[in-house]
Amino acid sequence: MQTIQPQNALRLDDVKHLRDIFNAQNSQELKRAFDALHSCIEISEEDLEVQFNRYFIGPMEPIADPFASIYIDDPDVVMSKSTLHVRELYETMGFTNPLKNIIPDDHLGVELDAYYQLLYLEEAKGITYLSDLRHYFLHEHLSLWVPRFIARALEHSEHDSKAMTFILLQLKSLLIRETTTQGVTA
Amino acid sequence: MSYSKENVESIVNNGISRRSFLKGLAASGVLSSFPGGILQANEDLNTKIPYLGEKSYQTFRNACPRNCYDTCSIKTYVKDGVMQFIEGATESTYTHGGCCVKGNTYVKRVYSARRLKYPMMQVGGKGSGNWKRISWDQAMDIIAKKLLEMKKEDGTLLGAALTKYSGNFGITHYGIEGMFNSIGYTTRLAGTPCWPAGIDAQNLDMGDMWCNDPEEMKDSKFIILWGVNPASNSIHSMKYIYEAKKKGAKVIVIDPVFTEAASKASQYIQIKAGTDGLLALGMAKIIIDANLHDQKWLDANSKGYKEYKAYLDKEVKLDNVSKITGIPLAMIKELALSFAKAKPATIWMGYGMQRHTNGGSMIRAIDAFVAVSGNIGKYAGGARYGHLNTWGFNYAALSMPKPEGSVGYTGPEGAKGDVAQGKDAKSNYTDRFLNINKTARELINAKEPKVRLLWVACKNVFAQDFDRNQLIRAFQQLDLVVVADQFFNETAKWADIVLPVATQFEEYDVNVSYWHYWLTLNEQAIKPLFEVKSDLEIAAMLSKRMNQLQAGSCTFPQSVDTKAMMAKEFNPGIYEQFGIKSWEELKNGPVKAKAVIPYADGKFKTPSGKFEFYSDKALELFGSALPTYLEVRKPYDKFRMTSPHSRWSLHSQFQNLEWMEDVHPEPYVYINPDDAEAKMVKEGDTVAVFNKQGLLRLKAKLTDNVQAGTVLMYEQWYNNNIYNVNELVDDTSSDMGAFKTGAPGVALHDTFVNFRKL
Repeated sequence: MQTIQPQNALRLDDVKHLRDIFNAQNSQELKRAFDALHSCIEISEEDLEVQFNRYFIGPMEPIADPFASIYIDDPDVVMSKSTLHVRELYETMGFTNPLKNIIPDDHLGVELDAYYQLLYLEEAKGITYLSDLRHYFLHEHLSLWVPRFIARALEHSEHDSKAMTFILLQLKSLLIRETTTQGVTA
Repeated sequence: MSYSKENVESIVNNGISRRSFLKGLAASGVLSSFPGGILQANEDLNTKIPYLGEKSYQTFRNACPRNCYDTCSIKTYVKDGVMQFIEGATESTYTHGGCCVKGNTYVKRVYSARRLKYPMMQVGGKGSGNWKRISWDQAMDIIAKKLLEMKKEDGTLLGAALTKYSGNFGITHYGIEGMFNSIGYTTRLAGTPCWPAGIDAQNLDMGDMWCNDPEEMKDSKFIILWGVNPASNSIHSMKYIYEAKKKGAKVIVIDPVFTEAASKASQYIQIKAGTDGLLALGMAKIIIDANLHDQKWLDANSKGYKEYKAYLDKEVKLDNVSKITGIPLAMIKELALSFAKAKPATIWMGYGMQRHTNGGSMIRAIDAFVAVSGNIGKYAGGARYGHLNTWGFNYAALSMPKPEGSVGYTGPEGAKGDVAQGKDAKSNYTDRFLNINKTARELINAKEPKVRLLWVACKNVFAQDFDRNQLIRAFQQLDLVVVADQFFNETAKWADIVLPVATQFEEYDVNVSYWHYWLTLNEQAIKPLFEVKSDLEIAAMLSKRMNQLQAGSCTFPQSVDTKAMMAKEFNPGIYEQFGIKSWEELKNGPVKAKAVIPYADGKFKTPSGKFEFYSDKALELFGSALPTYLEVRKPYDKFRMTSPHSRWSLHSQFQNLEWMEDVHPEPYVYINPDDAEAKMVKEGDTVAVFNKQGLLRLKAKLTDNVQAGTVLMYEQWYNNNIYNVNELVDDTSSDMGAFKTGAPGVALHDTFVNFRKL
């Protein structure tokens, strides 16, 4: 294994923690992933989850659904064209998805998982075979919808939540960093 | 570092490039270096050329299980595990290859981002909007512990109540009642808000509710669509009506509202709401006086005709009929005589008509008119209301024994809903039955023990039950409200726990109609999305947890396969009726029951075995042996309010979808221009509609489709609007319903309101 550069270790950590936030299944998992981002925001597990659910999960209509198809294809449905495009990309990347047809392939948590694993190959293993696909995924897909997702969530100030704002800004920073500091622009 | 978009797209889209790339990927050892997460390394890469993936279609048989006459047979097309589109099954001559606009939204409904996805608990109190995810195990643990705690404290489980109705009419969904049967004697919100007064009326007259095949209507010579609007709400029936009309039949619509069906009819007759029974009595008098009644049929097949005729002679004055119904006498005479001269002639009675305080009596009066005309028991004739003649399944999912030692209610027994659940023959106890049409007050008033837990399934209580403000109070006083649903509706808002439920495409089931005679298999077409479960699986999980906590406390199977449960619903009677040897044959498409004409043999299931104009049972239960004129509820405010079904929704379903919101984005109150002018209301003005119950604010549409003195608002649930017509509807009962369904219906069309411009 090659030595990971500190700045790349940070990149990997950020993707991983954000992935874990959006894939959390309960308050504990969510809080653990949130705390790993070192936010310095004091918030209880329950309050964090209540706010997270109001923004992204439901059961009431959330402020911003974390699915690519909502921003690319149709604002009301999942499992549409862009979801299946992402599915094809995963297959080409060499992934199999145990949650196929259960969680839409373009759920933010799943997409961050794919991105994390691709980045890990490059930065922790020095394997660049999938580098083009990672960049394609970043520039031609993630960049297409994640900024719109972040903007939608942030513009609803009536639900102002420091914790959610922090998560969204972290995500925004991550996206900016990944799309600009690697010397690749779309 | 740079990358080539074109190269990547070539790899993804070009079979040769893709194969080459994947072979390189497999050979390079990259796959073993993935750190792992949700996505896993695929050790079995598909390098076929051309690469098709799972791009071929699979088809599945499905049924629309909504509370609708048409119960469409559906063919579902799935690619790579994702529903692509549906179409109406061509094998059913009724569905005839096409679904309605609501049914055609099913792909979008299944994949709606608004579906409930996870079990969740409201942690800030009911209505707080503070929700957290819980696992299914946690949800079942909370509910099971609450049930067992109540059982220990009360000595019974009568403090646990179930309200379930028609959100999914699939046969295995009676497993929800089965779940409650399996935990002990409980409290049930019994009866039906839909059609009970009419069911009683038809049972009093004919001993059954049983209608002719709607496909026969193509050969009817005269059709009266009486208070029914199939052009909106049973579109597949319209082709038979059009065909009859094309062949020369008269199609008459009698309705207080000028409906879509009225626009397609030969003639529209606008009647004052609640006076239909009197019109039918007048029409009967006219054809008897003209000697156009079928005396031979009446002599052979009826009881009490003499008394009925005497009543008509003495009490029914045609001038009065005209005055009260608002229909010119000449028109009434022409209608009655034309009907009597046409053979076969038929009347289709809608369910709205019996949602009056005199609703049952009106259905009885129309039944009697059809009988007098000699059209009962005739091909393409009949007094059509509905039927459950093809519903003879095993109800295996429902029929769960009580746990040993269960203690229940010792009150009166009887039929309690569409599928009757009588008293357990081996026990002295029954469940406790509360009137579903008075849900709010019944939940509040129930004592010894009080209701502490309410389970809501296949039902949006706040959209369908009455007196919204009292419902909020009722829900707030409950310890635990569990709502199992597919969408976050107003009922879920007042829940403690919401459970995400599978659509029909995510489970097996079997469906029949209360109108047509087709039988349809419902196959699981896709995996359940997110963490949704079928109602049967939820019942099994609850059983497992209850038995872990207290062995023997629940008799429901602790694991279920919806396909196996569906298969258990079939029996030789169903196979014989539908001419199949196994349910597996339904994979080839829906099948139709063997043709039968109701009452053609002259055998009625009444005590006398005849059509009963004079019913002792009616006298005993409702104070009148004959179908007599019963005056409708007196107005208690300035305008009558009617709240029929909308063509954009099916009760509280479908209107919440974007497809419907596009064409019908918001509710309106429809006001007659004369009434609007008097109140200085113009098209599009926002008005307050109010009465003793509550107040709604919404925009006005002016139309003379509604009579002066009446306002109309559709019964609908909007995802993005607080509108709920039951803000204004009280729970006053209709006259009948308790005989066959356990509780009287509700007179929701006898609601009165006022309005003003805002």
